[in-house]
Amino acid sequence: MKKGFLVTLLISAGIIACQPASQAAKEESQKTVAKATAQNKAKKSSKEEKFRRALGAQDKWQQACSNPVQLAPEGIDVAQFIKEMKATIKYPADGKLVGDWKKGESLALLPKEYKALYGKKGGSKKGNCYACHCGDPRIIACGNIGPSLRGYGNKGIDPKLTYDRIYNSWSQVPCSTMFRFGYHGLLSPEEIADIVAYLHDPESPINK
Amino acid sequence: MKKSILASLLGGALFFANAEAPTPEQLKILKEMGVSPADVIVEEGRDYYHNLKGSTGKTCASCHGQDGANLVGAYAKMPRYYTDIGKVADVDLRIKACLEKYVGVSAKGKKGRKYIVPLAGYVATLSNEMPINIELEHPEEKRLYEYGKELWYKRVGARDFSCAICHDVLAGKRIRLQKLGAPVRDKLYAHWPAYRISKDKLWTMEDRIRGCYKSFFLFDPKKGKFDFKKNWVKKPPFYMEEIIALELYMKKAANGAKIEVPGLLR
Repeated sequence: MKKGFLVTLLISAGIIACQPASQAAKEESQKTVAKATAQNKAKKSSKEEKFRRALGAQDKWQQACSNPVQLAPEGIDVAQFIKEMKATIKYPADGKLVGDWKKGESLALLPKEYKALYGKKGGSKKGNCYACHCGDPRIIACGNIGPSLRGYGNKGIDPKLTYDRIYNSWSQVPCSTMFRFGYHGLLSPEEIADIVAYLHDPESPINK
Repeated sequence: MKKSILASLLGGALFFANAEAPTPEQLKILKEMGVSPADVIVEEGRDYYHNLKGSTGKTCASCHGQDGANLVGAYAKMPRYYTDIGKVADVDLRIKACLEKYVGVSAKGKKGRKYIVPLAGYVATLSNEMPINIELEHPEEKRLYEYGKELWYKRVGARDFSCAICHDVLAGKRIRLQKLGAPVRDKLYAHWPAYRISKDKLWTMEDRIRGCYKSFFLFDPKKGKFDFKKNWVKKPPFYMEEIIALELYMKKAANGAKIEVPGLLR
């Protein structure tokens, strides 16, 4: 009887002694799980945060154009809008606004369009001109969002006007659909000058 | 394989018939022929609905009934607020939550889309012929609707895009040869989810919106101006509130339009 009592006592002591240890282990594993979840959450929220940050990166002119007609809203000072947009335009260091039309063509065409015409590597995703404009008559899959650029160089348009329009279309038509290529850094000043050449040069397929 | 051959054949035929509009006529022609590549995917969804089991041992049918008995008409009212998950969910997020919460199947990320997309297609077909009916009863639904409207018009990113500039203002014009649809004006939501012949895939509206945002050239302003490699933020993550807000805006605009899914697109 006495012996049995002792055994019970010992066992229960053991259980009590063991309990904190097992609890600690449990807590530890819970912590690890919590940590992993938190890490997961941090990772996920960062992706969402990144998207929200990108959505929030609206400049004040984009904000002005964010209305149901998608044009400069009533009550806005359009002259001021245009003035501010003109002030953003930068020109190539050498001052040449008309560059190399062949380089310009390669910027204007997608790689697959370039290959279809010339059977070699070239083209770029940067300009994407034919998504919205027609121009080179050999390119049939051209959009009709912007005006056709066929024969653009024969119309007596000042190349500087062309340059400005590509650099920042909103300096001429506030809230225009056309991207502000230079303003957003989609094209460098030199690249824009090459596209100006593609549009104006009499040798360019645009004008031939 | 067979499916993709069929798809390209159909794609060719449709290209000459009418390359652009996701019209019910096209669906009608195909239905008369007794084929639609999308049906295969919807069937897959039906199979998951009845047979996909996870850790709980339940299937979708355990709660929603044989052949989706209790889900008839459900899609016409989605996205809407769900008390069990405490937020507004579209069909994608609703299915994801069900899979994870009640079926016990992990439906995370791209792997989860394997189940979610066919299931969404199947669940949507259960509301065929019914009018879209978004009611905006819950305050959260109203809030998201307003947010969706704001996003619809929001010019942003390195291309100064908004949804509206292409799909309201320029609707009917072409990007290259692809005609721009007007989901709000023409109630196009009635044809979504849609099978995209060019991708050989069923797309839910989540897929569509994410694809659209890719063309915005959104960028993380923390790393300066837009750069293809450095800071291009291509797509919002799946099930993000912004996506559901836009869905709510577009689907509300389509109220009254008869659901005819899966739609069929280029």
